[in-house]
Parts: sequence; C-alpha cells; structure tokens
Amino acid sequence: MTNPYEVLGVSPDASDEEIKKAYRDLAKKYHPDNYADSPLADLAEQKMKEVNEAYDEINRMRQKGKGTGSTGGTGSAGSYSAGGTNTQFYSVRIYIQRNMIQEAEKVLDSTPEGNRTAEWHYLKGMCAFRKGWSDQATQYFTTAVNMDPNNQEYRAALNNVTNQRSYNYGGYSTGTTTGTGGGDCSCCDVCTALMCADCLCSCCR
Amino acid sequence: MFGYLRVQKSELLVREFEAYKSVYCGLCRQLGKDYSFLTRLILSYDCTFYAMLLMSLSRSCGGFYKGRCKCNPFKKCSFARCGDDAYGKAAALSVISAYYKLEDDLTDSGFFKRFAVRLIKPFFGRWHKKAAKNYPELEAPVSKMMEMQREVERDKSAGIDPSAHPTAVMLGTVLALEGVDDAQRRIYYEFGYHIGRWIYLIDAADDLEKDIKKDCFNPFRNVSAGDIREYQTSVLNQSLARAYDAYNLITLIDFKGIFDNMMLYGFPTKQNTVVYRIEEEENDKSI
Repeated sequence: MTNPYEVLGVSPDASDEEIKKAYRDLAKKYHPDNYADSPLADLAEQKMKEVNEAYDEINRMRQKGKGTGSTGGTGSAGSYSAGGTNTQFYSVRIYIQRNMIQEAEKVLDSTPEGNRTAEWHYLKGMCAFRKGWSDQATQYFTTAVNMDPNNQEYRAALNNVTNQRSYNYGGYSTGTTTGTGGGDCSCCDVCTALMCADCLCSCCR
Repeated sequence: MFGYLRVQKSELLVREFEAYKSVYCGLCRQLGKDYSFLTRLILSYDCTFYAMLLMSLSRSCGGFYKGRCKCNPFKKCSFARCGDDAYGKAAALSVISAYYKLEDDLTDSGFFKRFAVRLIKPFFGRWHKKAAKNYPELEAPVSKMMEMQREVERDKSAGIDPSAHPTAVMLGTVLALEGVDDAQRRIYYEFGYHIGRWIYLIDAADDLEKDIKKDCFNPFRNVSAGDIREYQTSVLNQSLARAYDAYNLITLIDFKGIFDNMMLYGFPTKQNTVVYRIEEEENDKSI
C-alpha cells in the first residue's frame, strides 16, 4: 500500500492540524461537484477515495485504541445516473454513462424534430460537453432549462457550465486580473504617495 | 503553437524562475544541436511548457549546470539537465509545428510575406523531414490537425467548438502519448484537449481585428454576442477551468510550483491582456 502521508502530501511528522488542512484542501480539490458531468469524474472519485483512505489510515495510526473519527461520506458521487424518471432516451443515457458519445449522438440525431424535448437538448448538451465542445454544450443546456425550468438535473448542468465560464471555479481567483485595464492604483500606491507627501511635510518643518 | 503559455513572473519564487529559465535555455540548446543554429529562433514558450511537462511527468530532470549562451556569448546561462528525450521531443514538436505554420502562411498571407516564406521554407523542409522521421508519433497528429483545420475552415460560418477542435485534438493526442495506463492517457488527453482549445481560441481572439480587416476566417466573426470580449472571456475561462480539473488529477512533483503558477496566474493573466488589449509590461520581456 502506498504511504498515506505521501498521498496527502505531508511529512510524517506533520502536526494533526497540518494533516487536517492538507486533507481538507485535497478533498476540496477532488470534490465530486468540481467534476460533475466531466469525462474524468470516475478518476476524480477514485482519487477522492484514496485521499479519504489515507486520512483514515493516518488517524488510525495516530490514535490507536481511541477509536477514530471517520471522514464520513463525501456526499453523492456526482456521477451520471442513468434511469431517471424519463425513459424516453434511456439508451442514450447508458451510452453517455459509458462514454460512447458517438453512439449517443447517433440516436439523438435520428430523433425527429417534433420529439426534441428538453431532455433531448440536455442530453445533446451532455454529449457536446463530454467531447470538450463546451460552447455548444452551454447553448443546449440553456435551451433545456428554458423548455423545462423546473428540472433540477438540467439546471445543475447549466449551473456547472456557467460557473466554469465565470472564473468562480476550483482554485481560480480573479486576484491577478486587472479587469478592463486602466490605471493601476492599488492600496500600496496610495500609501506610498501618502508617505512621500509626509516626508515632504517633515522637510518644511 | 503561438507563445501564450506563459508564467506570471511576479508570482514565481526566484528559484522557480531560474528553473524555468534553465528549461527554456536547455530547449534552445537542443534545437541548435538537433537541427541548426537558425532553428533556435523558433524557440517558444509553448514548447518550453511541453518540455517541462514531459520532464516533470517522467521525473527526468537531473539538476542544473552552468554554461554560456550561444546567441549571446557574454551571457551565462544555467541549463536543466534531462535524463530522457524530453528536449528532443519538444524540439521536434517546435520544428514540425513551425513547418506547418509556414505552409499555412503560404496559402493565406500577402505577397511579400509569401515571398519571404518561400525563401526560408526549403531549410525548414529539411529539418522537418528529420524531425518527422525521428518522431513520427508527433508528426502524425500535427499533420492531421492541419488537414482537419482546412476542412473546418472551408465552412466560413464554422462555430467556436468545431474550429478549435483540431488544435485541441492535436495537443490532447500528443500529451496522451505520455500516459502509461488508460487512466493516465485519459487525463492527459483531457488536459491537452482543453489547453489546445484555449491556445487556438486565444489566438483567434488576438487576431480578430486583423482578420476582420483582411476578411480572413475567424470563428469569433460568426458569434453574435452583445459584448464580444465578455463572450471571449467566458469561452476561454471555461477551457481553462476544464483543463484545471484534469490538471488536478495529474501527479506532478518537479516544477509543480511553476505549473501551478501558469494554471492559476500565467494563463488567466495572458488571457486578460489579450482579450482586453492591455499593454504588457514587465512580464513580457521576461527571459
């Protein structure tokens, strides 16, 4: 078995606090929500499992006999569920689940105009998304939500892509961006200016 | 590739910046050694990224050594030592993509540029042949990409996704070569796909004004969005976000800080400067 400390990326003599922090960071990173609809969802889930096991293992080693607090569930795996209430496109859902996107698209494309429901648009978007065609996916999800605003599944998919499009994603921050440009006048600049002015003042005195 | 894969210099540690520079110089040296003095001129940040990624994935960087810069004999450089063929591959990819770029320029640029391209192309033909012979696994995806791209651009109204697809597939395929098992190959492919897509789209965003003036193909011309820059930002963000997901599943140890810097600061900053046409200052003249 691999060294649990290595899995968490901490040294064996790290404090409990450090380990907890490392675990939290990793759990945030591999959280199923980040990989909703992603073709890599299963791999992220596996990684998450490894991290959980490593954390449990370390806890067990550190407090032998005391009984360990388990990490608990990490919520639903966010994996793609076939079945659903609507079985109209059952085969398509199975194809997507197995990453057989071409087959899924074939079935969808042969659906006559009149039968292209909200679910059809949603699944079409899912195919595009899996292929990496994020822009089309966004359009299809939007149409699906417009056609059936109450469906949570479609809404979740749309939220996911919308989040990706607006930086509020994973470890991203807008910290470095300067927006639409223009003069850069940060707090530091103001402080420096004040300090310079202050120096001048003391000169006169 | 076009030189968009940058680091954000101000956020790097000094030793990280030194390491980055030494990979850059090492690749330059390899280009000189494998091909010719002139091929050093096609050294790019994108291929430096590729070389550094290969070295990090196979953990083949074995320290650094000092030497003299061939282009500027008064400058001392440090070079990253590499235990496998990461530099060789990156040099080959540089030459192969430069060659196809020239070929592309022959078909769609003005008279004077075409003339200049005709002059230098024979040299590149020879180097390209050598690279293609030694690295057929890199040649195939790039030539396939050019073919697919021509096919896509025949339809002047092609959308964002199909236009970016060829470049994305190319980089995905090239990176997937490094995976040792199926799971790794999937992750590397996904990462390459979205980075490739981002490169294509940021280049398209960069060229938009020029392409409108010259009436050339550009996928953003076919978009009817209220604010084109906002639209470009959201499409590019999405590519980076999805690349970042895949990136998080890759186990990197060497150069990790530099890659994190690129994913979280370098690329988004570059994207901002391109989309909003912000003058680049310090960061531009980095190495």
